[in-house]
Amino acid sequence: MSLPRKIDPISTTLLQRIKECLDSLNEKMEVMIELQKHGQRLTQDGVPDVLDVMTLLSLPDHLRKTAVTLCKLDNATADQVAEQTKRARAVESGYLNQLVLMGYVKKERRGRKAYFYVEREENQNGVKEPWEKS
Amino acid sequence: MGKIIAIHSYKGGTGKTLLSINLATLYANRGRNVALLDLDFRAPSLQAIFKVHETEYWLNDYLNGVCEIKKVLVDLTQTHGKRGRLLVGLANPSTEAIREMTAKDRKWEMKALGRLLSLKTSLLSDMSLDYVIFDTSPGLQYSSINAIVSADVVLVVSGTDVSDIRGTQRMIDELYELFEKKTGLIMNKVLTEVLTSKTERSELAKKLLNSYNLPLIEMIPCFCDILRTGNSSIFSLENPEHPFVKTLDRVATNIENL
Repeated sequence: MSLPRKIDPISTTLLQRIKECLDSLNEKMEVMIELQKHGQRLTQDGVPDVLDVMTLLSLPDHLRKTAVTLCKLDNATADQVAEQTKRARAVESGYLNQLVLMGYVKKERRGRKAYFYVEREENQNGVKEPWEKS
Repeated sequence: MGKIIAIHSYKGGTGKTLLSINLATLYANRGRNVALLDLDFRAPSLQAIFKVHETEYWLNDYLNGVCEIKKVLVDLTQTHGKRGRLLVGLANPSTEAIREMTAKDRKWEMKALGRLLSLKTSLLSDMSLDYVIFDTSPGLQYSSINAIVSADVVLVVSGTDVSDIRGTQRMIDELYELFEKKTGLIMNKVLTEVLTSKTERSELAKKLLNSYNLPLIEMIPCFCDILRTGNSSIFSLENPEHPFVKTLDRVATNIENL
């Protein structure tokens, strides 16, 4: 079977859309696989696990690297994490989203950028201390 | 940017506190600005050794979110610094505080990790310190692992006792390597006869390299005259020409080059 010589613009757009959907599906599948392997763990009281050092130790190597880097940066985009870990932005974005789904990391959109962070520290009154970054 | 150095060991009594204090004062005497933090909340010792009688805030308060780190630091530059600044953060030695610190939950420990990690900004960037030295609790407990994760360099202190060697080996494989920490080994209290014999010394060095697969920073002999002082004074300040101080001076240089 011979391929058509030239693909018309409508087909190109359609193919592009199919590729985007497949990429998105692929990313979701990866997250589901990761969740099955190291899914969100609950403590004995049924409370979601926290991202403390013992959790960090229990994470697979690739996620631990991302999680430790995020802990150090405090609040960062996938780009900023990738800069530290020397891995591709898309890879870090995938790992950060896995950590979000596992319940260890929060994600917040500001404009076009997504910021990831470990739940903010608050004092007993629920107010951030004055010396902490907002 | 300066460095955070955690001094850690598998077992207690390996000489972490002695090394931490003297390393901090040696750096200060080289003109470096240093903060020494007592992170051994189960057995605090810096308050007694530095004879600080009054302090408004402890490191416990900083980790509890009661105050910022600057309020905890006691400036000992006048008495112990000579050329550089020497600041000390003390752990509360009261039984009540020790009991309280041992009963913390995982959420608190997670927040404590965040606070220790933020010292890189508050002490190294904002206060322009050259070194922050963490004197940690021995073994694998929250406070020591938090300190290790927050540090740039870990100095693991070990004795020649077989249980210490095996435990340290496990700790290197199952802790330091997982966190990809730059780690150096200090063998402390090594028998003088082992160090004076060339053959025995090189055999021990080879054995250590095989066991630990870590850079051996130094083998420090066991000095009875240090034990005699009972940590009642800062040894390196009182005895600058002592072989222990000369050895530690090499350690300080090695860490600077790590």
